[in-house]
Amino acid sequence: MSARIAVLVFPGTNSEDETVRLLGDCGGNAHLVHWSRAQTLASYDAYVLPGGFAYEDRIRAGAIAAHDAMMDHVIAGAQAGKLVLGVCNGAQILLEAGLVPGTAPIRRPTAAFTRNGPVPHFVCTHVHVKLTIEPARSALTAALEHGALIPAWTANGEGRLAASDEHLRELERGDHIAFVYAHEDGSIDDTASPNQSALGVAGLCNREGNVLALMPHPERDAWTFNHPDRRRGGAMLAPSGGAVFFRSFVEALSR
Amino acid sequence: MRRAVAINLKIPDNAAYTALVTLRRLGIDVARVERSEIVRFADAPDAVVLAAEVERDESLYNPNKHRVTVLDADVPRPGEVWIVQDDADRPVGWRLYRAPGIPVERAVLAQAAERLLCNPAIERAIYPK
Repeated sequence: MSARIAVLVFPGTNSEDETVRLLGDCGGNAHLVHWSRAQTLASYDAYVLPGGFAYEDRIRAGAIAAHDAMMDHVIAGAQAGKLVLGVCNGAQILLEAGLVPGTAPIRRPTAAFTRNGPVPHFVCTHVHVKLTIEPARSALTAALEHGALIPAWTANGEGRLAASDEHLRELERGDHIAFVYAHEDGSIDDTASPNQSALGVAGLCNREGNVLALMPHPERDAWTFNHPDRRRGGAMLAPSGGAVFFRSFVEALSR
Repeated sequence: MRRAVAINLKIPDNAAYTALVTLRRLGIDVARVERSEIVRFADAPDAVVLAAEVERDESLYNPNKHRVTVLDADVPRPGEVWIVQDDADRPVGWRLYRAPGIPVERAVLAQAAERLLCNPAIERAIYPK
């Protein structure tokens, strides 16, 4: 029987349906798990925290969800080596829970995805993120090519990585920076990030490589009709570049 | 004179209630949580005039839902911690009570800030003097 993936639904999550559908299209056995059924999470093999506004971003984005009973199971699973992926608000929750970068005690965050710069507004734009770690560094990226370029949509008001200089150095030294923003041709410079994220970071992984937090949404560029170039022709439901990332996640579960 | 005002909801505050439930889940003994937006004034008139000025400012105050309290000083009240993300911002004041009308001790306040209310990567906590 294939590994079971739980897609967590907190009050305020809004990207769960496309996430489940994409995981299914990539060959995964994914199921929605509602916050009222937290006790069932232990039986799953992997966890995906989709985007949205869990608990209405009360206190801070991800702060309340990080302490939800569902996260007790996700934290225990991550510590046991289960794969955990957080996208957008899911990424914010993983940072608030301290699972990423995972260099401090649990639920003692050392970084945050916070208000965008230079203007603290909601930003919705198409982006590309580039894999900057060796693919095998994280189980979730192991099936990607070296330097893989993944298209995605960024859609948030709080996607800029912020941390102290000391903790940013720790992210670099520990090889935690899994993805940075890049241009469509794969080049990287200060203008590639849509929100002035520190070090151009779009995604972080933990030391063990089984937990990954990614701010933009690859699942929203998963089929041709999601992609900005969709009018070029071709089947509208053909897989697009974002699907590659989720395929790597699903393949990791079969290894 | 430096002064501050606390503007809070006079209707039920869902964010404060969620914070209360979460703090209790963390084992922090709190009976009530109040949340305020703190507006600080470098050169403020006396308290009555200041309150009237704030209540005339529609960008700060909506009489349908807000209550204004002029604080005695530009510092948090007993049982209150101000969380500020960057120094240009208005702090969010979280006032915690261990029983009706009795603010929590400093140690409990610090525990609440460190474990939930403040992310030190992006925020700073200001405690009562």
